[in-house]
Amino acid sequence: MTRQAAQNIPHVRRNPLRVRIVRHSAIYFMLLPAAVWFAVFCYQPMYGVLLAFKDYKFNMGILRSPWVGLKYFNQFLFAAEFWNVIRNTLVISVLKLACSFPAPIILALLLNEVQNMRFKRVVQTVSYLPHFVSWVVVYSLLTIVFTPYGGLVNSLRTQVFGLEAMYYMGEKQYFYPMAVLSDIWKGVGWGTIVYLSAITSVSPELYEAAIVDGAGRLRCAWHITLPGIRPTIAILFILATGGILNANTDQVLLMQQPANMAISQIVDTYVLKIGIREGRFGYATAIGLFKSVFSAALMFMANAISKRVGEISIW
Amino acid sequence: MARTQGAVLRSNRIRRSFGLRAFTTFNYVFLVLFALITFYPFWYILIASFNMGRDFARGGVYLFPRAFTLDNYKKAFENKQIVDAFLISVGRTSLGVVLGLFFTSLMSYGIHIRTLPGRTGIVLYFFITTIVSGGMIPYFLLLRALGLTKSFWIYVWPSIFSFYNMILVRTYFDGIPPELRESARIDGAGEWRTLLQIYLPTSVPVLATIALFIGVGHWNDWFTGAYYVTNQKIMPAATLLQKILLEASSQQSIKPGQESSIYVQAVSTTPQSMQMAFVMILTMPIVVVYPFLQKYYVKGVMVGSVKG
Repeated sequence: MTRQAAQNIPHVRRNPLRVRIVRHSAIYFMLLPAAVWFAVFCYQPMYGVLLAFKDYKFNMGILRSPWVGLKYFNQFLFAAEFWNVIRNTLVISVLKLACSFPAPIILALLLNEVQNMRFKRVVQTVSYLPHFVSWVVVYSLLTIVFTPYGGLVNSLRTQVFGLEAMYYMGEKQYFYPMAVLSDIWKGVGWGTIVYLSAITSVSPELYEAAIVDGAGRLRCAWHITLPGIRPTIAILFILATGGILNANTDQVLLMQQPANMAISQIVDTYVLKIGIREGRFGYATAIGLFKSVFSAALMFMANAISKRVGEISIW
Repeated sequence: MARTQGAVLRSNRIRRSFGLRAFTTFNYVFLVLFALITFYPFWYILIASFNMGRDFARGGVYLFPRAFTLDNYKKAFENKQIVDAFLISVGRTSLGVVLGLFFTSLMSYGIHIRTLPGRTGIVLYFFITTIVSGGMIPYFLLLRALGLTKSFWIYVWPSIFSFYNMILVRTYFDGIPPELRESARIDGAGEWRTLLQIYLPTSVPVLATIALFIGVGHWNDWFTGAYYVTNQKIMPAATLLQKILLEASSQQSIKPGQESSIYVQAVSTTPQSMQMAFVMILTMPIVVVYPFLQKYYVKGVMVGSVKG
């Protein structure tokens, strides 16, 4: 980087450090607000993680509250909800990894086969729309479209198929399917952007060679395009593994109802319930920390495996 | 590049077999269906919001409003709680975008100067926060200690910077020829003038992109209002919608048109139809803005994905 800069600006003289710092004082001043902001809003909460090992007393602050060691971690590991919460989080994430992750790849491959550029553009523009609206709006659309009282889907069920109306948003057995489908609906179009740009960097010569060898469009897609975007897929997959304990708090919080709570309580929503609703800050912080450490470990593991198997790594 | 590939395939007319035509047809049908499934829910709510509530509850309105009315919107705009919530949303979004753009530009300009002593360390200082975080509870306690949980500024200050947006702007700044900055310096412009009069005017595409990202983030954020804020008076529209939905789901046994709430005085509107107008008011600004910036944010996403 430094060498490059020296080439760009050839007449830079190497002054003593102090002179250079003084020359850049305006720049440091510009970076000052950011430095302060990151210290307050990012680094202060990192220090606040100490709470996980403390019995937090409001009047004593974090520093002077008494230490409790690993009490909260023990408490969480042996809590009745522990396995339940972990299982729910993993189920939702794995379902999403299995369905929401490949969806944009497939859509990108299909879009790539479209030769009418105007049609392709219109479909793409429409497909980005759900990404930009809030999860609250998506949830409203879901409740309105799926309501048993004259909603679109239930009208179809009762009038065309002669079935009973179904309360999709409230019944427990529909929670996972609705969560995964709405996740795909919201994210699939946006997800194609990265893959489509990766596809454009696949060398056209490969296609020419394949066609000379008699390959059709589908074979080209399978043997050239897909392997061509493999590094992109691998990197996004590693990142997704790191987020496996996240399972999208926004969406799950909105879709949670008393009826499905047993299968919809995930780690983050549990932290919110314990921490903000019940005010047990130390315990909730410990659960959050447990999650972060576990997530980081998962990501390192996925990265290590990917490095060994496919020589692709995010570091 | 995609065109090149297409051209290669098109030139090869021998392989236009039956299978290929079948696939192409299937592909177009599938994509049309996909676009419909994506777009129709919005259209459905749009026509519902322009239809009389009771009439809509009878069912059968699918393509266009049957009993056209503006009552749902009128009722929504007469409701003080809704109007206040939208004022909060508009306020936080405009303030958030303006301040966010300003501070992000400052930070990106500083970071992009390669001769800056200690630059690597400074970048690292910012970068670490994207990997490690304190989690929700320490963050909430911080907001509370700062007195933000009761203040409107909770919507502005905590989201003023984003490492990701900074990368987008910095990458764009890196593409501006360094000679431009050099010559400005020689002409006597300081760093501030260089940034404001030379960099910012040439960076409109990237600024528009992050303005969209920041604005959408503010407009859509319901979580802060619902979980961190303790003051009901500063509830933004997205949070209000969430509260309304929460109430509705707890009274799920009541059918629309039979409820005993305040809405009943209105003859033609139902809580549901008013809610649809509400959803539309929340969606419309986004629908109007996002297609026009497509060219820019698509590029932005690519930059972001390359840089990690």
